[in-house]
This record gives sequence, C-alpha cells and structure tokens, in this order.
Amino acid sequence: MSHQLPAILFLLPLFAAISMPVVCLKHRHWSYRISVATLAAMVLVSILNLHNVIHHGEIRYAFSGWTVPLGIEWVADGLASVILVLLSVLGLLGLVFTGSTSPKDLGGRIVHYYTLILLLVSALTGIAFAGDLFNLFVFLEVAAISSYALIGVAGGRALFAAFRYLILGTLGASLYLLGVSYLYAVTGTLNMSDMVDKLPFLLSSKAVVGGLIFMFIGLAIKMALVPFHSWLPEAYTYAPESISPILSSLVTKVALLAWIRIIYWVLNASIAINDIPILLLVSVLGTLAAVIGASLALAQRDLKMLFAYGGISHIGIIIIGISQGNQTGFSGGVFYLLNDAVMQAGLFFLAGVAFCQYGVRTIDDLGRVGKQAPWLTGALIVMALGMIGLPPTGGFFGKWYIILGALEAGNYVSVAAVLLSTLLTLAYFVKVFECIFRQSSTQFDAPSGEIPFSFKLTLGVTSAAIIVLGLSSGSIVQLLLDHALPPGL
Amino acid sequence: MVDALLAILQRPNFLTFVIIFLWGFYIMVTRYNLVKKLIGMYLVQTSVIFFLVSISVKKGATVPVLLSTSAPVQAAIYANPLPHVLTLTAIVVGVATTGVGLALCGAIYRKYGSLDEEEILEKLE
Repeated sequence: MSHQLPAILFLLPLFAAISMPVVCLKHRHWSYRISVATLAAMVLVSILNLHNVIHHGEIRYAFSGWTVPLGIEWVADGLASVILVLLSVLGLLGLVFTGSTSPKDLGGRIVHYYTLILLLVSALTGIAFAGDLFNLFVFLEVAAISSYALIGVAGGRALFAAFRYLILGTLGASLYLLGVSYLYAVTGTLNMSDMVDKLPFLLSSKAVVGGLIFMFIGLAIKMALVPFHSWLPEAYTYAPESISPILSSLVTKVALLAWIRIIYWVLNASIAINDIPILLLVSVLGTLAAVIGASLALAQRDLKMLFAYGGISHIGIIIIGISQGNQTGFSGGVFYLLNDAVMQAGLFFLAGVAFCQYGVRTIDDLGRVGKQAPWLTGALIVMALGMIGLPPTGGFFGKWYIILGALEAGNYVSVAAVLLSTLLTLAYFVKVFECIFRQSSTQFDAPSGEIPFSFKLTLGVTSAAIIVLGLSSGSIVQLLLDHALPPGL
Repeated sequence: MVDALLAILQRPNFLTFVIIFLWGFYIMVTRYNLVKKLIGMYLVQTSVIFFLVSISVKKGATVPVLLSTSAPVQAAIYANPLPHVLTLTAIVVGVATTGVGLALCGAIYRKYGSLDEEEILEKLE
C-alpha cells in the first residue's frame, strides 16, 4: 500500500477536478468544500509519504508495471516528498484564502474555477514526481494552461497579461520539447535514470549541448529567470487576489525544481562542456537574477508588483545556492526554496487582504491604513524580516547556508551577490515601512469591518511558518542532507 | 562553405524545421495583431512536432505489431512507435493551448473592441 502513495497523491486532486463539474452540477456551493477536503487529504497523504520515504528509502513507481526503460517512471525521493508537503500545505492555505476572495461575478463558473485550481495542483504534483523528461513536459503544460485560464478570470488587464504569459510560456514549452527531442534522438531514451548513464559519453555531440541549452531556456522562461521574467510581474499583479498566492508560491518554484532535477539527476553536475563547468554558468545566471530582480523591485510602488519582483530576485538566490556544487550550498538552496514559497504565499495573501479589506493597492495607500490594520502590519513586519533575512526567520538560515556553501566552493562573487541582493531587499522594505509609519495628514477612511477568519488564518499561519522554519532550520537542513541530496554530491 | 551548404541540403527535414520555426517566431515578435501572434505560436509548436516526426522516419519499416510470435523479434523491421505517441500528446497540448489563447483573444476583443496590441495598450494607459 505505502508504495502507492505517490500515485494516490496525484490522483486525489485529478479525480476531484474531473468529477467536480458533474458532482457540482446542481450544488455549486459544494465545489469549495470538495476542493478543501481534497487538499486536506493531500496534506495527510503527503506527510505519510514523506514519513515513508524517510524510513524506507525512495519509491520508484512504474506505471502499470512497465519498468524502466520501457514504461513511465515516477521517482518519489526525499526532495520530491518534501516539496509535495510544501505544495499541499500552501495549496490548502491558498484555497482557504480563495473562499472569501474569489471573484463574485463568476456565478455558475465558480465550479470550473475550483476545477482549474485542483488541476493546477495535480499537474504540479506530477512535475515534482516525474522521472521522465516527456512526462515533465506534459505536466508543465497542464500547469501552465490552468494558470493562463486562472489569471484570465479577473478580466480587464488580466486578460492581456494572461495572453502575454501564454505566448511566452508556450514558446518556453516548445523550446523545452525541442531540447527533449534532441536528447531523445541522440540517446534513444526519455527516462532520467536511464539517460544519466548514457549522457556523459556524448557531451562532445553538438546535438546534446544544443538540446540542453534549449531545455534550460525553456524552463528558464517557465520559472521567470532574469532575463526571461517579463511575463511574471504583470501576470501575478493583475491575476485575481485569490489566485496570485498559489501561483507565485508554487508554479515558478516547481519549474525550478524541474531544473534542479535535470542538472543533478540527468546530468552529472560536475561535468564541463568545452571546459566550461555548467555549474559556473548556472551560478552566473543566479547572480544576475538575484541582483537585477531586487533592483527592479526598488522602483515599484504597486504592492503586488513589488512582491513579484522580490520573488524574481529570490529565484536567483535559490539558484546561487544549488549551483555551488557542495552539500551545504545545495541543502541551503532547497531550504531557501521552501522558505521562499512560504514567504511569497504570505506576501500575496497580504496584498490580497490589503486590497479586499482596505482597498489598498500601492505602498502609498498602505501608509494611510497602517495603524488601523494590526493584522496587516504585524504580518508585514514578520514577512519583511523573512525576506530581508534577519534571524530568527527561515530566510536568514537559508541565506546563511547558501553563503557557507559559496565560501566552501571559494565562489566570492556569489557571496557578494547574495549580500547585495539582501541590501536591496532591505532598501525596498525600508521604503514600505517609511510609508506605513510616516505621520500622514490625510487619514484614510478604511472600511472598518472585522477581518474575516480566513484572512487571519492565512496571514497567521504563513507568518508563524516563517518563524518556525527558522527555529527548526537545523533539523530541516539535516533532513535535506540525509535524504534529499542528489547522487554523487 | 560549400561543404556546409551541401551538408544542409542533405538534411531537408532539418532545413524545413528551421524555416518553419523561425517563421513562426518572426510572426510572434513582429505582428501586433493578437490572433496573428497566436498563429505564429502555433507554427512554432508545429515545427517542433514536425522535427520529432522527421527524426523518427525509418525506411522500409512496418507498423509495430508483431508479425509472428514464434520467430525471434527483429527490431529493425518495425517502426519505433514512441516518437509518434509523443507527437500525438504534443499535438493535444498544442490544441489546448491554442484554445485557451483564442478564448483570451475573444474576451480581450469583447472588453477593448480591438485585437491590435498597440490600440489595447493605449486604452490601458
């Protein structure tokens, strides 16, 4: 039974999504409850799965009994299982938040709205578990198509942002598929564990190098790595308040996970192509993203835009961590990925509460409601500590391990990039707090209603999680070191 | 130079793929009409599918169904079914993406009364 857990984890949201339009045909309001129940079940199963993987080793799930290299294989190792716990918990929180903020004028289409959210969650589960390059492509596209539709739900500017996202995202997916077909033409296999034995002898082939470049560019568009980030800020800013937390915390991070898998599980990370180590290239990309993302964030006045650019710079910091090529850097990078997902979810919850409850969109407006909104200000302070990386938040320990890894590798440019990005993060949060605590003459007539319970819950849980992740960082990093390291690191 | 040209001409499928891919990419980048952008996107997707099909061609091979269960299997006489299955899946993904794209175009047209990117951007300002 326990080796079926990965399949169950995927089938739960998929089955709920497919059956929802039929089950909720008469009773629209059931759709919310069914989604929450599904995600709650996923949280339980994913924790069971993580427990199982820790105690009995990784699970290799061969679909319908067709073993590698003939069949499709899923790999539930430590890394995927940890990410799955994160995914289901944040998905559940996002759904709870959605309950009170979902667009009101949807009417009967609310059922399809929840169907799309569940479909997105199941596709992300598939990306995390996939042990097959083509399988990865299909799930990437299912996740992307659901995100385009969910962003478009808001109407207005969101339609145009979603269209741009669609054009760029599809270009990325096509490039990824092109890279996969190059690699397939050379090696004759699509399975990651099968390909890892064949690739090292083929690195002089231009087809392999070209294929890898296409795959990396494709995935870089999906995870909004600078300079392919232009779709993200608009898409996440104009997306419905209820959807941006789920998208920003999960979609880009899971695409990043796919990239980590290809670098470490398909390629042997220590290889060099034409005497250039690929990890060096990756760390340069990360450095650029960390600094440029944070600098662009400095210029933003819109809350969601600011947080979106912050997320882009943090993708860079995670990449700097995983590209150091040693255990400390890798586990620090993955730990920072967990933190960043929680912080991004929290920040977009915050932006959602600010808009839905107080009608605030920019940081200037935030100053006018600051003192009347204790929950908002409190959560913002905790999240700012996490984003800047001050102890005792998880952000601090993530950056700490990344810098230790970079020092171990003697990569001082990476250390400087992490520090510079931290300073820039500090700068834009100082700007936010300056607006909040400045004595404002124009008092804002905030609609002073009681904050709904779901807002308090989501803000409270994410703020608490940022602190708890920091306090238990030692044991989590140890767990990642014991169970989530790639082979040969 | 001549050698390189001859090498390219010996692989007309690669040449066709490159032409369709770049053509689609050019349309996506230069056209302002959103539906034309979608057409360019569809050309890019189709070119990749074309590439996948063209590298899996096998001359003189038959359908991958065993001709006889007693004789030893000769892989050389059967076509490889895998690239074709991949192609089928990629086509389905492409159709779904185009469908969502057209739906978005329709919604944009109802909202802004135009499909021209520049006009829409002017109205957004």
